Amino acid sequence: MRALAKLVEDTEGDVPVAAIEGEIDASNVADLGQRLRALLTNRSESLVVDLVTTTYIDSAGINLLFELAAELHQRQQRLYLVVAVRSPIERMIGITGLVNAVPVHPTRDAALRDAGAPAP
Amino acid sequence: MLGAVPDSRVLDSLQRVTDAALAHLSQEDLLAELLRRITEILGTDTAAILLLEPGGTILRARAAMGIEEEVRRGVRIPVGRGFAGRIAAERRAITIDDVDHADILNPILREKGIRSLLGVPMMVEGRVLGVLHVGSLTRRIFTPDDGDLLQLAADRAALAIERAHLDDQRRLAEALQRRLLPEDLPVIAGLELASAYLPASGESLGGDWYDAFELGGGRIVLAVGDVVGHGPAAAAVMAQLRAALRAYAVEDHPPAGVVERVNTLMWQLGPTAMTTLAYLVLDPTQETLELVNAGHPPPLVVSPAGVADYLPLQGTMALGASTVARYHSETYPFVTGSTVVLYTDGLVERRGASIDDGLERLRVIVEATADVDSLVSTIISRMVPEKTADDIAVIAARLPPLPDELVSQWPADRDVLASVRRLLRRWLRTRGASEEETYDITVACQEACANAVEHAYGPGGRSFDVEAVHREGRIRLTVRDGGHWRAPRGTNRGRGLPLMRALMETVDVQHGEHGTVVVLERTLARAS
Repeated sequence: MRALAKLVEDTEGDVPVAAIEGEIDASNVADLGQRLRALLTNRSESLVVDLVTTTYIDSAGINLLFELAAELHQRQQRLYLVVAVRSPIERMIGITGLVNAVPVHPTRDAALRDAGAPAP
Repeated sequence: MLGAVPDSRVLDSLQRVTDAALAHLSQEDLLAELLRRITEILGTDTAAILLLEPGGTILRARAAMGIEEEVRRGVRIPVGRGFAGRIAAERRAITIDDVDHADILNPILREKGIRSLLGVPMMVEGRVLGVLHVGSLTRRIFTPDDGDLLQLAADRAALAIERAHLDDQRRLAEALQRRLLPEDLPVIAGLELASAYLPASGESLGGDWYDAFELGGGRIVLAVGDVVGHGPAAAAVMAQLRAALRAYAVEDHPPAGVVERVNTLMWQLGPTAMTTLAYLVLDPTQETLELVNAGHPPPLVVSPAGVADYLPLQGTMALGASTVARYHSETYPFVTGSTVVLYTDGLVERRGASIDDGLERLRVIVEATADVDSLVSTIISRMVPEKTADDIAVIAARLPPLPDELVSQWPADRDVLASVRRLLRRWLRTRGASEEETYDITVACQEACANAVEHAYGPGGRSFDVEAVHREGRIRLTVRDGGHWRAPRGTNRGRGLPLMRALMETVDVQHGEHGTVVVLERTLARAS
């Protein structure tokens, strides 16, 4: 109903890309998690989550990204993040150490190149 | 009983039926009771009432005695044909001495072995409502006196049915309208709302309508409309308008898109579905009002300094008048401390006075009032005469200044976290916090609030308080809940506390018998 965040889905080659537009908090994190997981198939090798249009994230969202990274790792898949330079989101992933657990790129293209997707 | 004369006892008997009906009987019970009396008085074996269907071409059996199948089978007789059909068409009593030699459409009458029939039209103010007929299983010659008596009963029944029908319509419309106006305005922290609805004198139902509800992003919709017409038809249009407006609004269309979609719907509902509408989206964070006006009087905005001005007229058409009408939104500043008033024309229109006079009187009145509750009651007491020709709706919203000490209470529900955030951001900005400070302090506070929501188990734990204090450049936030602190469980838990410590200068968590208190402090760099 009153959606805090919108998930904008896309695919580059075989790589699913999801941009989270809006705010992530404890009220919508479970729903977002489900929808992100639904983007992955057995053939997917990676998932790119684009946080450039994300305006708010706290430990609820950070926890989800840690969980997602661990789940993907177990299945030999990999999570890539797109985070704008000097943004509040960048500060949050720095403080919580998420930046050390997941490859983070300033642009979607850079993340896709790292994920091995063909150049768009 | 043959050739009964309507003596006073008989009339009393009929009178009693209809009086009782007016008081409390449902239409079904009324008709049944009436038929019971008539068969008793006239000494007939059967009696039936057929009422005209809305189209006016079909009679349908609605009540029967002795021939109950008529109602069960839903017998329908075309006006102008058969026994009952001819009575309705010719508007006169008809007798049939011997059914075997007559034009009877309804097979039940023959199946039941009825020999003789007498029927009369049921009329009110020259309109036919239906037919009342009685029958005898033995051959009987109905006399003109029988006919007069039956006509008397039919007239009383028709009147009672008409009154009951009008009562039903009025009750339905009243119930509808009560449902159409919000019972309680939403309670939104950091926003004052007040409203009033006054029916026109002598009428319980008008076409005025208002609504207020939250959108995503902390925005609030205020809407006021005036539906053309009165009564159940207008109420039905209102119901559809309200539902459509809310549905399109939560789909997150831009305001002009919401109004254009409602316009298309109103057009499709037919020529009677017309309404004016002022659709306003108030954004407390951006401190703006976005208005789409469809032929409605302009909203009035009072500045924090107490200067009132009408928003410019947008010169657009009422909804439902044209499919090609295009609607545009205009955005106006709405700084903290401002008030906006939406109303319907009944408030500013007076017989013998120009609407400009009414608008000017309203403008002067609102300039002198501060909080919205007294604003709305002052408007009503000073603008509305004892008797109003038109109904009136008023809704007002104010963005009150947030004080240096802000205390708010919230239900322990994850869905309120976004609202807490928005209120705190607004408070922090007006305290001079930078974007970065606002973000960091908001996250820290949210971590404490999210804990409070998660820990809110058991009695007394169903809400939490957030207290924000600003003193000489230092921010202190206190989050109190009635639950017990739980040690974080699972691998990906427990990041909240470290995050709070990283973002604030001091973090103090006290677990008491009556709950948990988290105190967070940080000094603003730009503070003077």
